[in-house]
Amino acid sequence: MKVKTSILIIEDDVSISNFIEAVLTSNDYGVIKANTGKEAITMVTSFVPELILLDLGLPDMDGLKVLARIREWSSIPIIVVSARTNEKEKVEALDQGADDYITKPFGTSELLARVRTALRHKQGDMQEFNEENRIDIASFRINFKKHQVTIEGSEIHLTPIEYRIVALLAKNRGKVVTLEYLSKEIWGPYTLENNALRVNMANIRRKIEKNPAEPQYILTEVGVGYRMRDER
Amino acid sequence: MDMSNMRPDPDELLSKIKAAEKNTSGKLKIFLGYSAGVGKTYAMLDDAKEQLKSGIDVVVGYVEPHTRPETLRLLEGLPAIEPKIIAYKNMTLREFDLEIALLRKPQLILVDELAHSNAYGVRNKKRYQDVEELLNAGIDVYTTVNVQHIESLNDIIEDITKIPVRETIPDYIFDHADKVMLVDVDPEELQKRFREGKIYRPERAATAMQNFFTLDNLRLLREIALRKTTDIISQGNLSDISTADKKINTRFLVCVGPSPSSAKCIRWTARTADAFHAPWTALYVETPKSGSFNDVYPKNIKDNLELAARLGGQQVTLNGYDVASTVAEYGKLLAITNIVVGKSRNKKTLRNYFRPNFEDKLIGLLPNTEIHIISDNDAAKHQKIVDVKELKRNLIFSWSDSLKMLLLLIAATLISLGLRSMGIGEQNVIMVYILFVLIISRVTSGFVYGVTASIVSVLTFNFLFVKPYFTFNAVQSGYPVTFLIMLIVAIVTSTMMIRIKTQAGFAVAKERKTEILYEINKKLLITRGLDNIIELTNEYITSICSRSVIFYCEDPIFGKPGIVKTFGTDMNSSFMLNPDEQAVAHWVFINKKRAGAGTDTLMGAGAFYMPILSQGKVLGVLGISCITQMPINHELRSFLRMVASLVAMALERQALSDEQRRIIVESEKETMRSNLLRAISHDLRTPLTAILGASSAVLEDKKMDSKTQEKLLTGVKDNAQWLIRMVENLLFVTRINDAAMKINKSPEAVEEVVAEAVTRVKNQFPSALIHVKVPDDLLLVPMDATLIEQVIINLLENAIKHSSTVLPIELMVKRDENFAIFEISDHGEGIPTEELPTLFEGYIGNKQSSPDSSRGMGIGLSICRSIMATHNGKIEAENRPEGGALFRFILPLNEGAANES
Repeated sequence: MKVKTSILIIEDDVSISNFIEAVLTSNDYGVIKANTGKEAITMVTSFVPELILLDLGLPDMDGLKVLARIREWSSIPIIVVSARTNEKEKVEALDQGADDYITKPFGTSELLARVRTALRHKQGDMQEFNEENRIDIASFRINFKKHQVTIEGSEIHLTPIEYRIVALLAKNRGKVVTLEYLSKEIWGPYTLENNALRVNMANIRRKIEKNPAEPQYILTEVGVGYRMRDER
Repeated sequence: MDMSNMRPDPDELLSKIKAAEKNTSGKLKIFLGYSAGVGKTYAMLDDAKEQLKSGIDVVVGYVEPHTRPETLRLLEGLPAIEPKIIAYKNMTLREFDLEIALLRKPQLILVDELAHSNAYGVRNKKRYQDVEELLNAGIDVYTTVNVQHIESLNDIIEDITKIPVRETIPDYIFDHADKVMLVDVDPEELQKRFREGKIYRPERAATAMQNFFTLDNLRLLREIALRKTTDIISQGNLSDISTADKKINTRFLVCVGPSPSSAKCIRWTARTADAFHAPWTALYVETPKSGSFNDVYPKNIKDNLELAARLGGQQVTLNGYDVASTVAEYGKLLAITNIVVGKSRNKKTLRNYFRPNFEDKLIGLLPNTEIHIISDNDAAKHQKIVDVKELKRNLIFSWSDSLKMLLLLIAATLISLGLRSMGIGEQNVIMVYILFVLIISRVTSGFVYGVTASIVSVLTFNFLFVKPYFTFNAVQSGYPVTFLIMLIVAIVTSTMMIRIKTQAGFAVAKERKTEILYEINKKLLITRGLDNIIELTNEYITSICSRSVIFYCEDPIFGKPGIVKTFGTDMNSSFMLNPDEQAVAHWVFINKKRAGAGTDTLMGAGAFYMPILSQGKVLGVLGISCITQMPINHELRSFLRMVASLVAMALERQALSDEQRRIIVESEKETMRSNLLRAISHDLRTPLTAILGASSAVLEDKKMDSKTQEKLLTGVKDNAQWLIRMVENLLFVTRINDAAMKINKSPEAVEEVVAEAVTRVKNQFPSALIHVKVPDDLLLVPMDATLIEQVIINLLENAIKHSSTVLPIELMVKRDENFAIFEISDHGEGIPTEELPTLFEGYIGNKQSSPDSSRGMGIGLSICRSIMATHNGKIEAENRPEGGALFRFILPLNEGAANES
């Protein structure tokens, strides 16, 4: 019998955790549930799940604290569940080591896509682009060995900074990369070049997207960061 | 029961409020003695010990170090504040440390020797000012004072003891004390103490006993102290209301002159008026003779007027040529019953027979008023000096006036020569010269030119027109008379001219003041907004004083710093923003009194600070730079006080209207909220009913075919999605309302915000067609991205749901100079014309319209409008000529542009 991938749902609302459980079980995942932060922490240590869905609004303790406690010893992928209007919380969670976030309310397809991405990244850590050093997303291809980006086979000319941004997003495809993280990776830890970043993003978009207002590859998460689409 | 008795008496309430107000400040207890050595300090410390025992936080602020051993023993066990050590001219002085005391803030503090004058460099000039500050800070104070230090009794005691007492305390301190305790001892017992060297060292005691502490003196002093105490006790027996209601039918007026002996009159008046419980006024009449304010006299005048203020009198300065008539006019106006004047014994000179006495004039002018004459031996000397000065003033030489005189005399001579050649008689020549002397007196200033002109005319006339010609020999007997008449005419005219001119000058100066006040008042009346009032005030005061000005509308320690207006090229105005200067302003806010340069408090400051008071509250503080010029003089100060009272009125008006506006906004918010709640509860019920119905149908009917089931569940999903959108919008409403205008704006790329909104809408409505166009260049707009995204989402959803068409929706962003324009248009049936004007009023406007037709649309659009308002943008809707609705919203690219539009 095939061993199911185990996912821990940390959520205090029974109907939502029931709904998530139903969706995941029918997609062949194994599910365990925790209602409170304390319970969650003990369950993580005893069950060591392969993925954690963490609701930030828990009754007994702050979701961010739970996140920090888990990250003390484990790098299990964690997807944070939060309300849409609270960008600060999202950024904070990502900075504290959450792998991704999903906004309430969400649909089944979105949830499953995030779960898949997170799990793949976990495996991909080891064998991400070993064979060819490249990533394909629809007709977009980035070749890390050649430092080359092509769309539908034709080469896109990017400046060094633009290439570094695209490469960073591509390596983290499917995940949100925060503005601060991008800025620090590109310009170093002492400046926060949000405007420079925006200008570069605008240029990249004009080079690789057909219509910058309806992007196909690099999506904006307003107030949080950018996410590269993840569809092979 | 009679209901009218149940109503509270307004007077009673008022007195209660006043009493409550008093309670916030500390209580003052004065230990009064009639001489050193009666045991004031001992009694004070004894009392303090009792207080300490009963658990009161007592601190010794300052006790004179010369104190007797018995007293020193009492000091043990009482916590004390270290005195401040001040180096002054090779001496080290010990002073009471007010700052520490205020920081320490005990319940009760002991400060010895109330009449003490502080060393230079301490915050206040006098210790009683320190005590006032302590009381204002809510600290109870125990202090000691001898009776000879009381201002109004000062001169009497000086008469008795022949020793002047320089250090005095104003009577009001004494009158406002909550308790006065007389420390009494028999004079003989006191003398015994002296002899035993308990008070001074024996060698000093001997001289002291010979001079000051004679038995007679001590007895008299004791009597005065006892009397003063009984006065205070009897005053305390009367209720507060009756003391405030002074006998209006008696009013005292004291005429103040520059002489220091005027102080005697002032003290006398203060004592007498006090005995009558009558109000009194100190009047100073400024005459042309009294000169400008930079002279010596006004310093004395200022001292005298300040003495009057300290003693509780009203001070008034009037302008006039003749003192007696001005006093009489004022007296009539205010129905003064008693006038006090000082009089010196004049020598009987010839001049005095022609000049009526001031008192005689007054009696003549005011036959029904009692005139009190206080003998004053110094006055005559001063009168003489004034007269000499007056003469000097009229002897001022001026080139232009001399030239005028010369030209006019030449003209007169020429005309006379002409008349003579025409054969017209010499009496007319005399008339011509008299005319020209008159003209010269008119056009020049001072006696000199008139008199000189008349003499010159007489000589010229004699030389040219009187036989024998070209000699000064007047043969005809009538000529001396002619000369005399000409001289008299010239002098009389000149005198009259001087009088008229000075009076006109006064009138003009006064007129100008009134005009400025009127103008300020008028401008303040039409000025709205605190900032504008401050700006206007600063502008006027800089131009009136020709100095830089700072305006504090809040205490700088707690609120914002003052607003500076620099006068002309004054480069040093920025010093007024220093923490030191701010501390002075802070002091003024707390103590409600002027301070800084030219005052008794914190005189080291670079500027003069005065409070803007209204009903005992400090509404603001004005600071006027004195760093480059002289301190503010008395005249300017009183003028500034008038301006300040106008500003106080304006500030109060502003505060009232602000308050009113706040209430209106509050109530509007309240109605908005209740309307919103009503709309929501109505709008939520429908989808919830549908969800409940459909889900229970699926759960209960097991045999339902999958097609019906799917239909019902789709309905549940749709309704749930609608509810989610609704709730999200509602979250924004609370966010906007809570944070008012405090949303986080940061420059965002328009294309990113648009892209996310479109992606979201497409997830919701996968079948919708949306064409998006953004500018080719990156467009950064300051905004709260989530809010603007919500606006776009709301508008797109409305377009999808209400256009009833499958044709694509267009979203276009353009840049127009300083604005970003967002347009969302559809090809549907458009908006009904009658709904257009109230479209964005949302839940307020369409209460009665069918909720199902435009479910949620109202709330969505009104939220869009609120979001636009917080961004200084605007939103509008119209129907396109080619069909379909067009929604447009505009955001400013920078804040400045928003204000211009």
